[in-house]
Amino acid sequence: MTALVSRYFRIWMRMAAMSLKAQMSHPLGSVGFLLGKLIRILFFFAFVIAIFQNVKKLGGYDLADMALFFLTFNLVDLGAQIFFRGIYGARRVVEEGDFDFYLVQPCSPLFRIMFATLDFLDLATALPVFVLLAMVFERLPALGLARYALYALLTLNGVAIAMAIHVLVAGLAVRTQELENSIWVYRDLMFMGKFPTDIYGPAARWALTFVVPVAVMCTFPAKALLGLLSPGWILYSFGFCLALLAFSRRYWLNSVSRYTSSSS
Amino acid sequence: MRKYLAAYGIALQNVLQRRSSLIMDRVGGVAVLASLYYFWLALMNGHKGFFGYSRAQMISYVLAINVLRSFVLTGRGWELVGDISGGRISSYLVRPMSYAGYSLSLDLAQKTVYLGSAVLEIAIFAALVRARFYVPRHWSAWLGFAAATAMSSLLFFVMEFMVSSLAFWTSESGGPLFCFELFIQFAAGAFFPLDVLPKVIRRVLDLSPFPYLVFFPINIYLERARPGETLRVLAIQGAWLAVMVFLASRLWRRGLRGYAAEGG
Repeated sequence: MTALVSRYFRIWMRMAAMSLKAQMSHPLGSVGFLLGKLIRILFFFAFVIAIFQNVKKLGGYDLADMALFFLTFNLVDLGAQIFFRGIYGARRVVEEGDFDFYLVQPCSPLFRIMFATLDFLDLATALPVFVLLAMVFERLPALGLARYALYALLTLNGVAIAMAIHVLVAGLAVRTQELENSIWVYRDLMFMGKFPTDIYGPAARWALTFVVPVAVMCTFPAKALLGLLSPGWILYSFGFCLALLAFSRRYWLNSVSRYTSSSS
Repeated sequence: MRKYLAAYGIALQNVLQRRSSLIMDRVGGVAVLASLYYFWLALMNGHKGFFGYSRAQMISYVLAINVLRSFVLTGRGWELVGDISGGRISSYLVRPMSYAGYSLSLDLAQKTVYLGSAVLEIAIFAALVRARFYVPRHWSAWLGFAAATAMSSLLFFVMEFMVSSLAFWTSESGGPLFCFELFIQFAAGAFFPLDVLPKVIRRVLDLSPFPYLVFFPINIYLERARPGETLRVLAIQGAWLAVMVFLASRLWRRGLRGYAAEGG
């Protein structure tokens, strides 16, 4: 088992090094993408601060709480962007027949396709998010280590759910060679996680908790830190994640079994 | 003119033919619309107005964002970058037509479909959530809004065309284009009314063409601009359009002079 983990870690490191070289070879493009990502985060943050200069609470939350929700969304979203960026190239891999090569390599094709790219630009974007998060933590009352540990676990749980969704999208790409739209629908739906899902109407809230789990991914970790999440919902979060991971794996295997190699 | 109309017709059929792509594109847009709608609804809870906007005006601003995102802030920048970088533009250059005119025809076809879809989405969304939106009392507001929206759509097309033309000099122009697209969404007021921002930033932005793309047209619709001010907005839009057309055509000509049809 250790040997297997070590081998996969070496493969991942190799792919990460290749990604870094690729991104460094396009300095202007990379700076443009990085600036765009920073603009997105900083403008939204400025917007939230500007709002709270005029109101004290929004949906029962104050500025620090809202910033926590927004930054938690960014953590989960960036986590998926940094590590699972390879999925965005899945259609090209299938369309151009490269997937055949992935299948004959002594490495899981899903691992190969998913972790093919490590996005160092998003890694750089994560730095200001961590700084802002540390500032928000300072403004919160003393909450205890257990709450922070639960927050970290639920945030990781959110990233794991994002991974399961990316696996589903990869399965769809292998099956239908359609990818762009489904991944962008996911990204647009994730937009709703920028704010606590409590502000949405009952139907939207239900859908965001049980169908497209944006609430579980982005809102629940922050609510757990603030002590607003019951043990039942915490269990539900982890259970949902496990079920979705199992389902996505099954879907992926089923998609690969239907792969006809028609593009190669 | 007939050839551009033919290009428009073919492009229209092309957009409508890819129905699943269109539907998924629009689902993403509705997610952003719902998110912003509920955010402002939560913010306006217990308030009669905010930043000088009545409740109905603010709700209408959010709904109008969806229309202007569809009709103004969509374009073919990425296709142009791909056409230049991949050398595909060569086949258009030898045809008896202007590439900019051809591109505008395709752009208008996409915008026609998106506009129709956006209006339908808003009607369904507003009916579902029983949104009380603002309807202008005077016909001049409708006329001013229509004129300002048409001008801002043209202005965005020219600006995006200009930024995409950087592909003549570098294969990395995707980065600047990405940055431009993200920045413009915030600076134009396509996420929130610019009145939210501190006055210094507002003044700086007012000196740029960005607020004339979304913010001012919506303010004309909301009758927050007096008739004289509407004319001033239209005149400034016209001036910016003239400046951008001049710059874009110069850039295009210089780019073409150095174009080596790499990859074509």
